[in-house]
Amino acid sequence: MIAFMIRRLFQALIVIFIISVIGFAIKQSVGDPVRELTGISVSEEERVEFREKLGLNDPWYVQYGRFFGDAIQGDLGTSFFYKRPATEVILEKAPATLELVFVSSLIILLFSVPLGVFSAIKPDSLFSRALMGSSIVGVSIPVFLTAIMMVYLFSIKLSWLPSYGRGELVMLGGWGTGLLTLDGWLHILMPSVALSSIMLPLFIRLIRSEMMEVLESEYIKYAWAKGLTHRRVWFVHAFKNTLLPVITVGGVQLGVTIAFTILTETVFQWQGLGFMFMEAVERSDAPLLVAYLMFVGIVMVGVNTIVDLIYGLVNPTIRIAGVK
Amino acid sequence: MLSRWLQGLVSSATGFAHIRAGLKSQEAIGMKKHFMLTLLLVLALTGLAHAKTLKLAMDADPVSLDPHMQLSGGMLQYSHMVFDPLVRWTKETTIEGRLAEKWERLDEKTVRFHLKKGVKFHSGNELTADDVIWTVNRLKESVDFKGIFEQFNSPLKVDKYTVDIVTKVPYPLLVSTATYIFPMDSKFYSGKDDKGMDKAAINKTGYSFANDNLSGTGKYTVSERQQGVKVVFEAFAGYWDKESPGNADKIVLTPIKNDATRVAALLSGDVDFIMPVPPQDMDRIEKSDSVKLVTMSGTRIITLQLNQNRVEAFKNPKVRQAVVYAVNNAGIAEKLMKGRATVGAQNSPKGYAGHNPDLTPRYDLKKAKQLMKEAGYEKGFEVSMVAPNNRYVNDEKIAEATASMLGKIGIKVNLKTMPKAQYWDQFDLQVADIQMIGWHSDTEDTGNFFEFLLMCPNKETGYGQYNSGNYCNQEVDSLALKVQAETDEVKRTAMLQKMEKIAYDEAAFVPLHWQDLSWAGKKNLGIESIVNVMNFPYFGDLVIQ
Amino acid sequence: MNRLDKFRQSFLWYSFKRDKVAIACLLVLLILVLTAIFAPLIAPYNPYDPEMIDIMNSEIPPAWEAEGGTEFLLGTDSQGRDMLSTMIYGMRISIIIGLGAVALQAVLGVLIGLFAGYHGGRLDAFFMRAADVQLSFSYLMVAIFMSAILQAVVGVAKFGEIAIPFLVLVIGLSQWPQYARTVRASVLAERKKEYVEAARVAGFTSSRIILDQIFPNTLSPILVLSTIQVANAVMSEAALSFLGLGMPIDRPSLGSLINSGFELIFSGAWWITALPGLLLVILVLSINMLGDFLRDVFNPKLYKG
Repeated sequence: MIAFMIRRLFQALIVIFIISVIGFAIKQSVGDPVRELTGISVSEEERVEFREKLGLNDPWYVQYGRFFGDAIQGDLGTSFFYKRPATEVILEKAPATLELVFVSSLIILLFSVPLGVFSAIKPDSLFSRALMGSSIVGVSIPVFLTAIMMVYLFSIKLSWLPSYGRGELVMLGGWGTGLLTLDGWLHILMPSVALSSIMLPLFIRLIRSEMMEVLESEYIKYAWAKGLTHRRVWFVHAFKNTLLPVITVGGVQLGVTIAFTILTETVFQWQGLGFMFMEAVERSDAPLLVAYLMFVGIVMVGVNTIVDLIYGLVNPTIRIAGVK
Repeated sequence: MLSRWLQGLVSSATGFAHIRAGLKSQEAIGMKKHFMLTLLLVLALTGLAHAKTLKLAMDADPVSLDPHMQLSGGMLQYSHMVFDPLVRWTKETTIEGRLAEKWERLDEKTVRFHLKKGVKFHSGNELTADDVIWTVNRLKESVDFKGIFEQFNSPLKVDKYTVDIVTKVPYPLLVSTATYIFPMDSKFYSGKDDKGMDKAAINKTGYSFANDNLSGTGKYTVSERQQGVKVVFEAFAGYWDKESPGNADKIVLTPIKNDATRVAALLSGDVDFIMPVPPQDMDRIEKSDSVKLVTMSGTRIITLQLNQNRVEAFKNPKVRQAVVYAVNNAGIAEKLMKGRATVGAQNSPKGYAGHNPDLTPRYDLKKAKQLMKEAGYEKGFEVSMVAPNNRYVNDEKIAEATASMLGKIGIKVNLKTMPKAQYWDQFDLQVADIQMIGWHSDTEDTGNFFEFLLMCPNKETGYGQYNSGNYCNQEVDSLALKVQAETDEVKRTAMLQKMEKIAYDEAAFVPLHWQDLSWAGKKNLGIESIVNVMNFPYFGDLVIQ
Repeated sequence: MNRLDKFRQSFLWYSFKRDKVAIACLLVLLILVLTAIFAPLIAPYNPYDPEMIDIMNSEIPPAWEAEGGTEFLLGTDSQGRDMLSTMIYGMRISIIIGLGAVALQAVLGVLIGLFAGYHGGRLDAFFMRAADVQLSFSYLMVAIFMSAILQAVVGVAKFGEIAIPFLVLVIGLSQWPQYARTVRASVLAERKKEYVEAARVAGFTSSRIILDQIFPNTLSPILVLSTIQVANAVMSEAALSFLGLGMPIDRPSLGSLINSGFELIFSGAWWITALPGLLLVILVLSINMLGDFLRDVFNPKLYKG
């Protein structure tokens, strides 16, 4: 177990190192922040001087050395736009994205499990077939299109729901949460539904097919033969065994979900990391871009590690040290 | 509206809780009733007191609390709210006194300003001549403002409330430049902060005292700020201007970058006032019963520059004229800008000294093809073009439209658009043969256009800094220089108009249009009286009925 | 017995004949693909020809709306381009990018999967770890970063000319792990089988064995995966273009069309977003449903996720 953890940690460091190199490459190439920071009538001379002050004129390896040295100490640079440490900005924006991912995961979990199980148990019922039909439609509609359609319908046509921002926030320490006010919930409703719109059908289908596979297996047949109740066979014996692949896929899909937050947050002007990322791209705010990349990298590595650990716990036939 | 309805539901639910709590003890009912009445009364009163809150949505929020950090429309807008200038532009583009009660020109280089007495900063300090001197000196230190204040010496103190502002050379635009002087509280911004850094420091990329703290003489102070999310302005009790009719006690500014979302927020009642308004939504706003639209012709000219150093053909005036004739800028103004722009044929909008009324737009496809033939480019050629996609109103669409218009005379355009943060770099490098630039004259004067856009590029003097077309005409240059020191208005006007005429005849650039300025808000707001061509609505004077 | 007869007797054909949904999907897909291939013949206008674009025709609604005309069946966009033609050409770009990206990722993924799976050891470990890392980042994010970097490398002004190969590269490079893993899994299963042993004993070289013996047996999972991946690639392209990192505005794909209409949708010009959106959904849906059908028929073990 400890050996596994150490190996994982080592891998994580390598991954983060690679990300830092990529991040640095981006930093070099996203454009000149000086232009964004200075007014238009500032002379070229002034700009050169300013660039010098920011250290943008040094050779790239000097800049990388400086960047890496600071990064190990947790300093990812100062955001040009926010004029604050990039990590601080990330931590301030993270709650918005995490809440969005959390609520949409909740939606996925609440709907995919009962729907998936039902359609596996009664695959021929009308409802199951309709569900399968609509789920493939769901997978085929891009997230941003769903989001736009929802804004058009619920904000513009019906004006039921707000179309932008997070609404009223309550500060809990450094965490600005929208989940404690009604206004906050009204604001998070559409973005989280949009974000879950592509994952939900995927999970329903996944749970269904896994469950059907398990139901075909020998030991379930044996359980039937023993005369166990339906409920017991379905939920205790069969469902438990479908959990394993669902957890693995869930871990992998978290990355996809985070990528999709970029799309969702762009449409809804949701003040989270994805929105911040696209703005940073537009503003050439390299330190912030790199910090975002590192943050996402660390979250991914962390989640994958946890998934592997759970995997080991749920499925004792796999020795953790031998995973993959 | 569902949200309203749900909120209503929740409040009635809490009401039930009150009643149920009351029923538990019979004796308490009377008291509860009394309590609830008081509560209602208090709510109603506080409701009234808070009724004058303005919820404002703009495309961006101030990037800093330090007015000298960046020279941009957003920062000047902010400066007008929390600082006050010596003088400011009126709606009729005349100049009115603010912190300066009156002023008089002593000689060609000096103007004496008499400050209002008893003006208090937010910190409680009184405004004196020292603050003005301190502010001008700081402006000369600011990367962004030092260009404008290049000509200025350090001002001279006459007495506590009188100050002489002096320039190095005769300078006709001294008073208009004073609109950029927003006196800062020199005592407040002097000394060391708790990090041991100079409070006066200007820092564009990191912490500085002035980036996070402020003390001005303006109507508002900033009571809460979350960058990129919201800024709350609260009225300052000791504000000097008691005559202003403005009655907005609190302004909540939310930046909403996306045009469509900003309009939706206004129409759904989430905000009271938006700026700017995208042209495609103006009709809808005008038709609405609850909101109104206010527009004004703007003074920012949108142009294309044809790079003569990169493309041999653009050296030929006939080809440049052909391009101007091929571009249907009237069509762009009508369709893409929905008629919310004034078609241009020169730099100076109407009202500017240099505006030459004889110059008219010239879209004529046949003539354009004819000119291409005459120039020997009947078969056309291929060029590249770059334009920003988030800087000017509909900039990307305009670029795309002009690209296909040029296609009609055989000039094949490879277009690339990009965000402004990447654009200006590419613009300076002159990566493409045709580049878009919009220009607003900081001095509200024609000369400024030529100094930056059309004079021969010269690294030493800095003239022609944004002349990526590399148009160069000695006559224009010498006129532009002469104009700077010419204090005779009639002579000056004639020279400026001549400059416009030369540029027009030689097709020095492709003029497109002046985009309209636009604001929209609820019907009960007195928007008309606070707006001006500089696009800084004076929110301090806003009347909310 | 020739190939056609063989095919007609196959299980695939048998199931296909009996599945009306699959037949309908294939038909729709065929129509769409043929329309895209023959776009210059079918589209009423050429959206790339400036002669046919007039700004004065901008934002005309579709023919069935009150202000629409018969000249432009599905209306025009803000530039005055015919929507129908622009959509057909846009779909062409989307399909080219989709197929190109899948071809690239399939070649890369299959080769890596085959050799890594067959040889095992360090090579295998390295590639699978790389696949892990890349998969956990999700293709969309990798694509976003790559496009940001590559745009800067080639220079923004030149970008328009190379947009298509560039998008193929970005989407292709970011999705190879899907193939590598699927193929590797089949290789691992095949490797232990007797025919491979027999070939090895008979002295065939390992690349011969991999390509002649093992590869044909991995074809059905590859086929199923490819169908889904084309749909995914089309969607990724749309997402990138929607964020402004994809096709330039003067040669719009379906995604960039949706994006250009987004700001107009609230002011009434719904068709500029809605119609390309609908076409995109139909295209992706028909591919996905065919993929589903193939999956049911072949029932391969795909790598999950």
